[in-house]
Amino acid sequence: MVPPQQDHDLVYNLRLSSVGPGCVTGSDVVHDLSGLDLTMKLHYLKAVYFFSSHAVEGLTIMNMKEAMFYLLNDYYITCGRIKRSESSGRPYIKCNDCGIRFVEGVCDETVDEWLETDDDSKRNLLVYHRAIGPELSFSPLVYLQVTQFKCGGISLGLSWAHILGDAFSVSNFINNWGQHMAMVNVNSSPALAPRSLTNTAKPEAPSEPLSAKQVNHVGDLWVLANNCKMETFSFNLTTQHLSNLQAKIGSVSAFDSICALLWRAIAKVREGFEPQIVTVCRKDPCHDDNNVLGNNQIIRTIKASFLVGESDLNKLATLIANDQGQVCDERNRIEAAVEKDNGSTDYIVYGSNLTFVNLENAGLYELELNGEKPKLAYYSIQGVGDEGAVLILPLPHGSAAENEGEPRYLVNLTLPEGQVFKLKAELKRASLL
Amino acid sequence: MPHFSNSVKLKYVKLGYQYLVNHILTLTLIPVMAGVLIEVLRLGPAEIVNLWNSLHFDLVQILCSCFFIIFVATVYFMSKPRSIYLVDYACYKPPVTCRVPFATFMEHSRLNLSNNPKSVEFQMRILERSGLGEETCLPPAIHYIPPTPTMEAARGEAEIVIFSAMDSLFKKTGLKPKDIDILIVNCSLFSPTPSLSAMVINKYKLRSNIKSFNLSGMGCSAGLISIDLARDLLQVHPNSNAVVVSTEIITPNYYQGKERAMLLPNCLFRMGGAAILLSNRRSERRRAKYRLVHVVRTHKGADDKAYRCVFEEEDKEGNVGISLSKDLMAIAGEALKSNITTIGPLVLPASEQLLFLLTLIGRKIFNPKWKPYIPDFKQAFEHFCIHAGGRAVIDELQKNLQLSAEHVEASRMTLHRFGNTSSSSLWYEMSYIEAKGRMKKGDRVWQIAFGSGFKCNSAVWKCNRTIKTPKDGPWADCIHRYPVHIPEVVKL
Repeated sequence: MVPPQQDHDLVYNLRLSSVGPGCVTGSDVVHDLSGLDLTMKLHYLKAVYFFSSHAVEGLTIMNMKEAMFYLLNDYYITCGRIKRSESSGRPYIKCNDCGIRFVEGVCDETVDEWLETDDDSKRNLLVYHRAIGPELSFSPLVYLQVTQFKCGGISLGLSWAHILGDAFSVSNFINNWGQHMAMVNVNSSPALAPRSLTNTAKPEAPSEPLSAKQVNHVGDLWVLANNCKMETFSFNLTTQHLSNLQAKIGSVSAFDSICALLWRAIAKVREGFEPQIVTVCRKDPCHDDNNVLGNNQIIRTIKASFLVGESDLNKLATLIANDQGQVCDERNRIEAAVEKDNGSTDYIVYGSNLTFVNLENAGLYELELNGEKPKLAYYSIQGVGDEGAVLILPLPHGSAAENEGEPRYLVNLTLPEGQVFKLKAELKRASLL
Repeated sequence: MPHFSNSVKLKYVKLGYQYLVNHILTLTLIPVMAGVLIEVLRLGPAEIVNLWNSLHFDLVQILCSCFFIIFVATVYFMSKPRSIYLVDYACYKPPVTCRVPFATFMEHSRLNLSNNPKSVEFQMRILERSGLGEETCLPPAIHYIPPTPTMEAARGEAEIVIFSAMDSLFKKTGLKPKDIDILIVNCSLFSPTPSLSAMVINKYKLRSNIKSFNLSGMGCSAGLISIDLARDLLQVHPNSNAVVVSTEIITPNYYQGKERAMLLPNCLFRMGGAAILLSNRRSERRRAKYRLVHVVRTHKGADDKAYRCVFEEEDKEGNVGISLSKDLMAIAGEALKSNITTIGPLVLPASEQLLFLLTLIGRKIFNPKWKPYIPDFKQAFEHFCIHAGGRAVIDELQKNLQLSAEHVEASRMTLHRFGNTSSSSLWYEMSYIEAKGRMKKGDRVWQIAFGSGFKCNSAVWKCNRTIKTPKDGPWADCIHRYPVHIPEVVKL
């Protein structure tokens, strides 16, 4: 039986518009990009939030846009466009109120139907993503897609240029928007303007950073050219999996044990070309308030002096957990390296080594619409280098946490296509898939 | 030094001349009255009584004279045109969600006209020199890439703009919908059926015997045409209220093609609307803000070039747009000259009229090379509201009428903050002057508007009471930032 012809795509009726700040930012307001910001220019963050129909009852697209106008009064930097300095060619952001791109779409599936068959390529339909360039001053830095499902639920798909800030900033941005949504029919009191923290580079002996790698000049089209095709897949870790891990590995955090497990698995897959160094990104506990916009996450490198593929999980986990010393925080080194030639060299961070990003305390489920949390919050990175990247995201759990089958973490991996199949087999062997 | 003292001397001479001519009646009357008084005092009361008796008046003659005087007075008062008062007016303030910064406009333009970089370049140059600011607003349908101008969206815009302005008017004046006797709505380019005036009647449940009118196609000067119509109706219907709604609906008229002459309106026209309450009731005399003194309408449509200079037509690809011809400024100048020739004698003081007449006679008889005397309208008016059609229009009028920067400030700042809102821009400008606290009792205001056709219409208002700075209104939250300096070219 021939399936009925779809006369349109799965997500269709895309309508684009722009949303900017409600108040005039002023003329000649610029935001300088630090060295750390510039290393992230080839990376983009994609976030998808799913909401049930109950959460968006009584909320219209106009309400969402209105809340966004008020939010962007404070986040006016996200509404700017990239320009190059006339003297040095160094990119900066001109805060000209141009706005973020707002996309509206429709899907004929219900939210639940979608979540059952969710995978990375399907999820890309929910996030309207365009790279920055080739015309820098006409490329939006942020895209927000609101897709309406048949059941009345929605998904929010945010595409965010990493030069603006890290995943923690993205989460803050969306959570602040949620707060404005709650106040949209009330006279909203102005939220705190996000503070953009400038990293003061300590005058160190300039040694090359291990976590950032130089790449070929990309000119004005900020897209990373990989040497091989990258593929993204994700899987859930349940309470059962965690307790099994806990049994094998001693008293380390869940994140560290998951990292150890995956590092070893990937090392096994890449035998002969094991990743000896990994990069770990996590939230800086010093910047714990909800109003920070910028690349402030801690970036550390961890070096294993032994063969990872055959190592003991406990040993690996301890290595990851104990390596908290300041000396391995790479941020100042990256900053210094970029400033050396005033930002004219292009770098990448995610995928220069195998990178693990801990989004446990990113506040992913703090967003509430009509008092209801999202059914799922999913983050991924667009533009990952050849070594690959792993994101560890928490999943919402209520009282069912004790249930053994209850998913607790979502692991999102981006790896070269050739390695994915072997890794999946490896993970099946470890009864994780 | 001699130059300076000469110009000062000239100034005093001019002032002396003006005072002499403008008060000639008083100046001649005073000596005459003084003469009569001296004569009376000289004669003494007894002599005056004798004089009176010698006239031999009897009762019948006195009675007839009295009746005659009363009769003449009654005829005079009956035939005097009713005074038309502007009780109050309200301007629509678009929400921040409709805001269009320059950068957004240019980016959308590039995406919508992606195959026509020359047209995009043209729009950018227009925008840089337009005199608009970063807070002007376009309706929601136009924010989409590409714009989605459906009829529903156009009706939506009309509802938001008109109903907001009317709600605001009701609140300000305490007017009850049932008390509206005459309703005039003017919107040039959106004319659905049922009309916009029917839409207002439906929304506010106005009376079934209301006299409603809907003026469409009359361009940016339609606001003053509506005022003129309201005035004529209020002459015929005693004790009535008239509400005039002036607006322009942008949604269906956003040009989607690439012809340059038609892209200009996209850069300048923005969302706006105003609702005005006029009345001829004597009870409104106290609280009315203004009294309507004159309305002068000039139509140059008989001239083909004037008729075609603002023309709505289809381009080669079938997109409908308004084409502006290159002679627009010249034709506007001609229309203005025509209008001030008519309004001059009505408003100018005697001194200016005399000078103008003498120069005219001199040019005709003695030497045609004499420069034509441009009457000084600053003596006839305290405030000027020039339709904010575009920077060029305001510059041209400032030059022609020899106005100072402060006189045209209301027009320039309205163009900056709200863009060209078509027929309602005059009301935003009035609102600006009030918000600045410059409107005092007895001030005369001149509103001039140009429109397709080609028309030049003027209205003269006299301020009825000193107006305190309003706490609400479209300028309430931003008046403290004005006036701003608007650069010749804004760097985008």
